[in-house]
Amino acid sequence: MDFSVVARNLPYLAAGFRVTLETSALVILGGTALGLLLGLARSGRLAVPRGAAWLYIEFIRGTPLLVVLFIVYFAIPPVIGHRFSAYEAAVIGFIAFIGAYIAEDVRSGLASVPRGQVEAGLAVGLSPRQVLWLVVLPQAVRRMIPALFNQFVRLVKFTSVASAIGVTELTGATLAVNAREFKPLPLLTALALAYFVTGYGLSLVGRWLNRRYAIAG
Amino acid sequence: MSYEFDWSVLWRYREALAEGFVLTLALSLLGLAGALALGIVAGTAGAGARRGARVAAAYVEIARNVPLLVHMYFWYLGLTALRLPAFWCGVLALAIYSGAYVAEIVRAGIQSVPAGQWAAALASGLSPRQALVHVIYPQALRIVAPSLAGLLSQLIKDSSLASVISVGELTFAAGAIEGETFRTFEAYIGITLLYLVTVTLISQLALRTLRGRAVDPAMRF
Repeated sequence: MDFSVVARNLPYLAAGFRVTLETSALVILGGTALGLLLGLARSGRLAVPRGAAWLYIEFIRGTPLLVVLFIVYFAIPPVIGHRFSAYEAAVIGFIAFIGAYIAEDVRSGLASVPRGQVEAGLAVGLSPRQVLWLVVLPQAVRRMIPALFNQFVRLVKFTSVASAIGVTELTGATLAVNAREFKPLPLLTALALAYFVTGYGLSLVGRWLNRRYAIAG
Repeated sequence: MSYEFDWSVLWRYREALAEGFVLTLALSLLGLAGALALGIVAGTAGAGARRGARVAAAYVEIARNVPLLVHMYFWYLGLTALRLPAFWCGVLALAIYSGAYVAEIVRAGIQSVPAGQWAAALASGLSPRQALVHVIYPQALRIVAPSLAGLLSQLIKDSSLASVISVGELTFAAGAIEGETFRTFEAYIGITLLYLVTVTLISQLALRTLRGRAVDPAMRF
């Protein structure tokens, strides 16, 4: 296979790769924040936030990612009278999507902290909020590392779907180069390799963090 | 908020939606069949200690670290020489991508069956293949049933990506309705609800069927 087509178009492809990495970073931050919020609401005692979070999570988890992007990019703008750029729509859609999955991981992470920890925290005079931030969350987060990194790896892969609404991230850039050069096999092989290295690399970081910070048992 | 909703488009385009829905189901079921075949072989090999385990691990890592969309383009654009119809490109991509996840589920399921079960099966004169089919798989199925049901619902949702390589499934049908009527919101929310109902029903059904067939070793004595 002749990879010179990849070398020839490297600056363009690298620019696409940068967009993929930037999008992933934004979505990891935004999605974790949303997931934490939803997961807390879902585990809390207040009925309305708990119900709303449940509804949201079930709705998103039953909807394909591509459809979520189409809803944000095509369906919502005419209703609210505001258009998003393709990039904005992709970032919003990805955060909305992955947030629902992370919320479930947060919920099971919170549930995995023994009840006695909460009681002990309250017994030594901490406020419920202090118990959450100082006792429960630090332990829950350390137990959540593998699940969170699974979501992050998934997320890097599915940023490729942004190409379907016209974002020139790595997949979009590769398709654009292919439209001009028509060398699909070397281009797609390089594309697959780039995702593989990124995703596998990220999962190795997750394993390392887990080894370092996980709580046994 | 001056948008006027007109949900009647969903009824007017019911035939297009039904056609798309049937293709979505066909893609998902054929994809699932392929994924199960690949995944059971790779997962069983992966649970062993032979060279097969390495090959299986390589397949799993490569297939699942490459986005499904890239799998689809690989068959659709990369191997144009094969002249596969877009539908079969979608099926192949779904089968190979999801097969890696099935493999991981199967491997974990097999490894969760106590080693004594193997030893006992072989000691009682079963061949390794008989031990797998009659002793190990039925017990592993009980453990992996929820994961398999989850995978099936994931697969149905993932099949929407085939619209990108122009397979006329449900998401593609919504796009076509949108193109003709500009009823974007109604079209996409309509198919979202359809996905939601389908995914929920099918995964519940799968879970019940799998649980019914699985064997709980504790119940046999």
